[in-house]
Order: sequence, then structure tokens, then C-alpha cells
Amino acid sequence: MWSYTFRRVLATIPTLLAVITVCYLLLHLTPGGPFDGERKVSAAVLANLQAKYHLDLPLWQQYLYYIKSLLQGDLGASFRYADWSVNDLVGKALPVSAAIGGGAIVISLFIGVALGIVAALRQNSIIDYLVMLLGNIGGAFPSFVLGPVLVMVFAIGLEWLPAGGWDDFSLRYMVLPMALLVFINISTIGRVMRGSMIEVLGSNFIRTARAKGLPMRTIVLRHALKPALMPVVSVIGPLAISSITAAVVTETVFGLPGLGKLIVNGAANRDYTLVLGLVVLVTVITVVLNLLVDLAYALLDPKIRY
Amino acid sequence: MHHNKSLRITASAVALALAACSGLALAAQVPAGVKLAAKQELTRNTGSEPESLDPVLAESVPANTITADLFEGLTATDSFGKVVPGVAESWKQTSPTTWVFKLRKNAKWSDGSAVTASDFVYGWQRFVEPKTASPYASTYGIFILNGKEITEGKKPASALGVKAVDKYTLEVQTPYPVPFMPSLVANTQLAPLPKATIDKFGKDWTKPGKMVSNGAFALKDWQVNSKVVVEKNAQYWDVKNVQLGKITYLPIEDHNADVKLYESGENDWVLELPSGTYDKYKTQYPKEIRNAPFLGLRYYSLNNKDPLLKDVRVRKALSMVIDRDILAKKVTADGQSPAYSAIVAGTAGADVTSYDWAKWPMAKRVEEAKKLLAQAGVQPGTKLKFAYNTSDYHKKMAIFAASEWKSKLGLNTELESLEFKVLLKKRHDADYQIARNGWVADYNDATTFLALVQCDNDQNDNKNCNAKAEALIKQGSDTTDQAKRKQLFTQAVKMIMDDYPMIPLLQYTAPRLVKSYVGGYGKNPMDRYRGKDLYIIQH
Repeated sequence: MWSYTFRRVLATIPTLLAVITVCYLLLHLTPGGPFDGERKVSAAVLANLQAKYHLDLPLWQQYLYYIKSLLQGDLGASFRYADWSVNDLVGKALPVSAAIGGGAIVISLFIGVALGIVAALRQNSIIDYLVMLLGNIGGAFPSFVLGPVLVMVFAIGLEWLPAGGWDDFSLRYMVLPMALLVFINISTIGRVMRGSMIEVLGSNFIRTARAKGLPMRTIVLRHALKPALMPVVSVIGPLAISSITAAVVTETVFGLPGLGKLIVNGAANRDYTLVLGLVVLVTVITVVLNLLVDLAYALLDPKIRY
Repeated sequence: MHHNKSLRITASAVALALAACSGLALAAQVPAGVKLAAKQELTRNTGSEPESLDPVLAESVPANTITADLFEGLTATDSFGKVVPGVAESWKQTSPTTWVFKLRKNAKWSDGSAVTASDFVYGWQRFVEPKTASPYASTYGIFILNGKEITEGKKPASALGVKAVDKYTLEVQTPYPVPFMPSLVANTQLAPLPKATIDKFGKDWTKPGKMVSNGAFALKDWQVNSKVVVEKNAQYWDVKNVQLGKITYLPIEDHNADVKLYESGENDWVLELPSGTYDKYKTQYPKEIRNAPFLGLRYYSLNNKDPLLKDVRVRKALSMVIDRDILAKKVTADGQSPAYSAIVAGTAGADVTSYDWAKWPMAKRVEEAKKLLAQAGVQPGTKLKFAYNTSDYHKKMAIFAASEWKSKLGLNTELESLEFKVLLKKRHDADYQIARNGWVADYNDATTFLALVQCDNDQNDNKNCNAKAEALIKQGSDTTDQAKRKQLFTQAVKMIMDDYPMIPLLQYTAPRLVKSYVGGYGKNPMDRYRGKDLYIIQH
């Protein structure tokens, strides 16, 4: 397994390089530059700005310059946020996103799996329908609708929690955004879990276990859970990636200083270095989470060996 | 310059009389009878994350707002836009192109050291230097002697026309008479800078714990994309007139989220209401809605080089048929007023011009416009291409304009919604036919708006040029007779606007919600409110 992990990590390098190159070219192909503003800067000021950020060099030289500093762990200077380096910006946004998105994924996993099991065991009963209804609401309503509803109820109506903002990992500010992400994620996890549990419960080895007279609790938790989790594990990777790196709507609704907003603003501002830095980060997160998912398969399914 | 000596002397005398100013400290005036709250803390949304807290790099509303509280220039503007003394207690125009500012001796940096004339010299030189790459270098720098050449790298920063005559006297040279100098130096980009701190920390000097500033407030905390917090600066020379103890600036971009935070009590100041909600909130919060016009113009740029639009008759017809009254009252419906000139109401240095047809009944305007189109050989069904940047507000206005052109002139408009940077690029490159545009004054003088329609100006997206008007502007710029200058500028604007280079539409207002307990909010024509002038009323 170690050599497998090592090989996978090595394979990341060409992926990363390809992603950076494509992204680099796309950014430079997009019309409008980082210093195009409502107030057009004079030719002299533009030249000064471009020189300051090395944009006066030929594209290939800029590219090599970027790769070189990247190898030294330096993501460069942000064009938009002049007082911060991209390392600073990413360093500040990542913990916020990891806390909100990561926390939400863990919570949704527990709730989603539990709901999925309950629904599967009571298939086509009123409980099943209720659970599925809840899941479908989470899936059907976009977060820009659900988010403001949560704010209206819990912040403006009941005044229990703040309507938004961020204060150094204070739990009060994390509850609503996490609740929103959990609500969205459990719909997917719950549905997948229900479907796969129903399928597993219908399989031969479960019938055997029942025939042996094992209590349902044991059957579900000891025998059915592991194989039923396989599809959930498959969806959890992409869900976690999007909850951590692309929770733009959630971050906008609650005014959170996370990665999603940074990447969207970076692209809108043509902040090339910031976008590239975030793309590198997202690529790394994606590769790592996908690897974890693959390793989790091996843990859940004895047939899979690396 | 082509003044003769006697004119120069007369002009100086007039200027002296005009510019003489007393050094009275004018600060947050809390009206008698107003009870202040024990907790003097304000939270205001500034709309986005400041790009920098280095005054010379400030460009956006948030950066300008925050740095204006952290730093104080020679002068400042109060909540009504009046120029008040800042670090300078008095100033004089000693010749058409020389200003002398007397600095107060009790102005201090937040570390307790004195603010001196050399701090201004250093700050201004750093502002125009090419390696600083300040986006405003070419906007304000051109008014200081050699500023333009320094930014272009043709002269060293030391050549800048600013000199510390002694520790508390600053002399400023301008390349031509700049009558609005006292208002210009209120801008944060022309604040003094702490050389020792900048030398010590480099780019990091703007971080909490490192920054030294001379304004009414000092930097306490800065969490990127979350908040900036400042506290009263105990070393500030006029600290006894500063009421607020703490200001928190939020970077909330989403207008709906802004209002939600306001309603839940976590924000005292909504920067901008969501499109189409002004009436609703006006009814809901009558005591908290604030709306004042400011020096800003919404207009549509017409590409004067476009094959169809190069005919002035076509441009005139397009402008004539847009009903600004309906646009203001029904479409945007947020208290803006119709505009028919490149100059908006309240601008110093030129009168607002208008068109004769502005007062005509619409039927007559349409008839005339149709005639013009016919003369220009433009058939009904001709296609126009209109570009705007994606936003509900701009879309609403664009649809209205397109429907006016369609219903009144039979012209078909193709609306193109572009991402902001793409629109900017197209506009700057004149790669458009008709495009949404807007401008907010950088300082209160007609020249800031004239830039939009002057020959070869960076800000002229219409690419129009009227050589005769240009000569009048040059003449006006060179004179020190303010009345003459104003007359020449007004004449030039009228002349240019009769070429229909663009379609002026509305004068901006700032409709927003500010809690009724926030005192000191005035009607500032630049929409700039300093923390120094604000206070919290007992509630």
C-alpha cells in the first residue's frame, strides 16, 4: 500500500504541471487584465504596474519565473491585494474553508449515513418518505435560497446566531454556514446510502446472516454497513472537495473569508497569481482526497488490495 | 504658461484673497442636546476587501475610506464636503503656481513623533515614483510640478515640486494654476507617510502592530476578507473631538447579505441597497434610509469612431429619445436625478449645461430624432449593439434604453452582457458601439468630469475630440481668474456636449441604510464620511 501511495503522489507532479500550464494560458487568454479599471490608468502607470509584477516580460519568461518561485514554495504576490502575498491569502482562507467545509462533511457523513440506513430499513414506510423528502429538499433548493432562509429564521427572527461574518473560529459564526452545507450534503449521502443499503440487504450473505438468527442490529452494523458504504465513499471525495474549495455561495451569503470567494474574486480581478495559487491548492486537495478515497476502498473491501 | 508678469501679479492677489483660510480646528460637532451613547463603536460595510492600506496604493472605496480614517493629509473634507484644515492649519496661494501650507505643531504620528513637512515630501515622492506603481499617480500626480515626468520615469522623484521650507512649512509647485489644491490634498494618496516605519518593514508596514499613522484612528486588526478594525488614536492632535472609540469595516460584497447583517444588528451601515429595493426599505425604515446625490454620472459611451455613430445626427437622436424622468422615477427608482451634461450638479468650476430639447414634450423630441435619423440615412430596423457589465441594475437600464430606441425610433438593439473586465477592455480599446459607463469624481472640480470627453484623455472612451473646446479648456486651466475659468469650462462643456459624444443619463445618489443612532452623517458630494465626523447617539 505504501508503494501504491508513493506512486500516486509521484503521479501528481505531471498532473499539477499540466493544470498550472493550462490555467496559466487560459488566464492570459481571457480579455481584460489585472489593471483594467473603471478609471483607466495612464500608459506610464500601466507600464510601472506591469514592471512591478513582471508582466512586462514575454509570456514564457513569466511562466518560467512563476514555476521557479513555485518550486521554492512561493506562490507570488497578489495583484489585487497589494499588501499580501498569495501565500498569506491562501494561508488565511484555507483554515476557514477547511473548518467549515471539513466539519460539515464529517457531520453530514454521520447524519446522512444514519438517515440512509433508517430509510433503507423502513423502505416505503412513512419514515422512509419523510427522510427522502428532507433529502430532496436539501438537494432541490439551491443554497442561495436556503442560506438566506436560515439567516431570516435564526439570525433576524430568533436572534440566536449572527447573520454572517467571521470571528477567529468562534463557533457562533460557524453554525449557520455549516448547517447549510450539511443540509445540502446529507441529501446526496442519505440517498446514496439508502440505495446501496437496500441493495446490500437484499444480497445472499445478508440472507444467510438472517437465517442464522442474528439480530438486525448486528446484521446492519457488522455485515451490511461496510459494503454499503462503498458508493458513499465514492461520492464523499467530490463532496468534500466542493465543500472545502467551492462553497462560494455559502461564503457569499454568510460573508466568510474562505477559499471559494477568493478564487471567484481572483478570477474576476484577473489576479493571475492568486488564481494560479488557488488552482495549485485545489489540485493538491483533490489529489489527496481522491487518494484517501481509494485507500478507504481497500479498508472497506477485502477484495481490493494495492 | 503664457502669462505676462502684470497679469500674474493681479491674479496672485485675487487668488490670495480667495484662498486665505483660517486655522480653526473643525471637528465632529455634536449638536447641543444630543446625548452620546456610552459605547462609541461603529460597524460599517465598505463593500469589498481593501486592496491595500497603504494610502498611495488606495484605489477602491474601501481602501479610500479606511485610509482616510488612518491618515490625515494637509486638509480634509467634512460630512458636507467642506474643506477643513487637517495637518495644515492654514494655506496660501503665493503665486499662480505656488501654494504654501503651514503645518500645525501638535500633529503627531501614532508613535508620538511629530508630523513634519518632510513626511509630506517623502509621502508625495513615494506616491509618484514608478516603482510604487500607484494607480492614482497619473490622476493626482499631474497637478504637482514634474509629477507626470517622474511617473513616466523621465525625472527623479526628488524633482517633484514639493519642498519642506522648514519643519512646519510645506511649499507646493504646480505646473499650471490648480485652484482646487486645498480640496485635492484632502485625498488619502497625498497623506504624509512614516518613512522610518516603511523603511523598517517594507511591504508589511501596513499590518496591525507595525503601522504608524497620523489620522484620528490607528490600525488595530486586519483579517483579510473578514474585517478591518481601527481604534481612536490617542496621539491625534484633535483627539478631544473624536467621538468614536472603534470602527469595524466589513468587506461584504453581496447587497442582500449586507442588509441581512444590518437587520440582525451586526452592521450599522449598508453600503448599497440591492437593486430595486429602495422604495421597500424607505417604507420599512423611514428613519434609517439615507439618500444624497453625489458627484457621479451614469452615462452611455457612444463610440464616435463607429461607422454608424460617427454621424452626430445619429448620436443626437439616440440621446434625445431616452426619457430620463421615467428612467429615474420608474426604472432605477432610487432617487437619482436626470442628467443632460458631462458635469453634474454640485461640481465646482463649471455650470451644469443642458439641451434645449430636454424641456420639450417627448412627442416633439421623437419627431425631431426621426428627422435626424432620416437625414443621416438610417433606416428603421437598423441594428445597434449595446454592451454592459453583468448586473441587474445595468440590465434594467439597458433594457429600458433599448426599448426607447425600438419603440420611438424603430431601431433594434442587441444587448451584450459582459463580465466587468471584458467590458472595460472593450471600452478602453473602443471595441464597442454603445457601452454602459459611469464616473465618480476624484476631487470636486470640473476637470475630473471634463476628462471623460477631452481629446486623447485616458478616460475618454467615446474617442471624441473637439479642438475648439480643447483650446477653451486650456485657456481656462491657465487662468487664475476663477470666474473666467468657470465661464470658459462651462462654454467648453456646452460645445462638447453639442457634439453628443455620449449619452448622459443620471446623477448618482447613494441610497443606503444607516442606523438612526449614527450621528454626523451629512450630505457629502463626494460620498466620503470620515470616522472623525461620526458619533453614536444614545439609543
